[in-house]
Amino acid sequence: MSLEDIANSLATTWLAETLTDSTWLFGVVEAVHVMALTLVFGSIALVDLRLIGLAQRHRDADTLVRQLLPLTWGGFALAAISGTTMIFANPHGYFDNTFFRAKMVALVLAGLNVLLFHYVVQPRAHAADAPKSSNTLGQRLSGGISLLLWLTIITCGRWIGFTI
Amino acid sequence: MTTLHDFAVWLAHSPLNAAVTGPSWLVPEIQVVHIVAIAAVVIASTLINLRALGLAETDLPQQTVVRTWARVIVIAVAVLAATGILLVVSEPGRALFRTVFWVKLGLIATALAVTAAQGRTGPVPTAASRALAIASLLLWVGVIFAGRWIAYAEGWPGAFS
Repeated sequence: MSLEDIANSLATTWLAETLTDSTWLFGVVEAVHVMALTLVFGSIALVDLRLIGLAQRHRDADTLVRQLLPLTWGGFALAAISGTTMIFANPHGYFDNTFFRAKMVALVLAGLNVLLFHYVVQPRAHAADAPKSSNTLGQRLSGGISLLLWLTIITCGRWIGFTI
Repeated sequence: MTTLHDFAVWLAHSPLNAAVTGPSWLVPEIQVVHIVAIAAVVIASTLINLRALGLAETDLPQQTVVRTWARVIVIAVAVLAATGILLVVSEPGRALFRTVFWVKLGLIATALAVTAAQGRTGPVPTAASRALAIASLLLWVGVIFAGRWIAYAEGWPGAFS
């Protein structure tokens, strides 16, 4: 099954027809997507800035992550659902779009960065037994890479609207 | 309406319009900065509001949370105003001629007034601070919806692109 076949089958679903028939439904889904992505980006960027050492330095990074994680995941679930819904409105347009493809690659890389942070960077930082206010090189890199990837994701997302 | 139309036409012929619409990548990049600043407002107001509702940052006094994040809101709103003005100048016949744009500005003013009122709350949330928190959440959601809706709303007579 090629990407083309998937696009074809998505385009003939009830959801695709509902979205293309309505003049306002796509706009509502887009507004939900904007709301969700600001929640995801806002909470992630805050943790990233803490890891780089540019914000919330008086607080322990783990506490901050624990406070923000429900917002990040709640926002991400909403962004994933609304984003997937938007694809149904024009599956060929999205799958063929370079910015959409780049955005998906950046999302995967951001996911890998999170796994690396969780299973390698944080355990090492804890083992190093450094004062909680200072950041290890690994933590700073994790934060910087995450920030760059999420800015790429937002930029690509915005460019999809101009190129699709 | 003619005054608004004249103003929009004047903006369309201004050097700033020429500067912003010159490179084709500039408007999308201004929109990216606008979205990043929205994210700053959303996370800041969400933390203030969830603190008032007892759902986050409960280890900190309410005033501390408000003081920390209200500052972020003020800076982000300044960035939003600057990028928003540039976006209006880039397409003067669009947003200014849509009711939803003026509704959005009204909602922003109200949301900022609510944030200012939250600045006067005490260390422990009261019924009033909970009400302000819910109002703030709804207002910012309204601002985002209204902003997105500029692209969908019907323009007034005199609108142009």
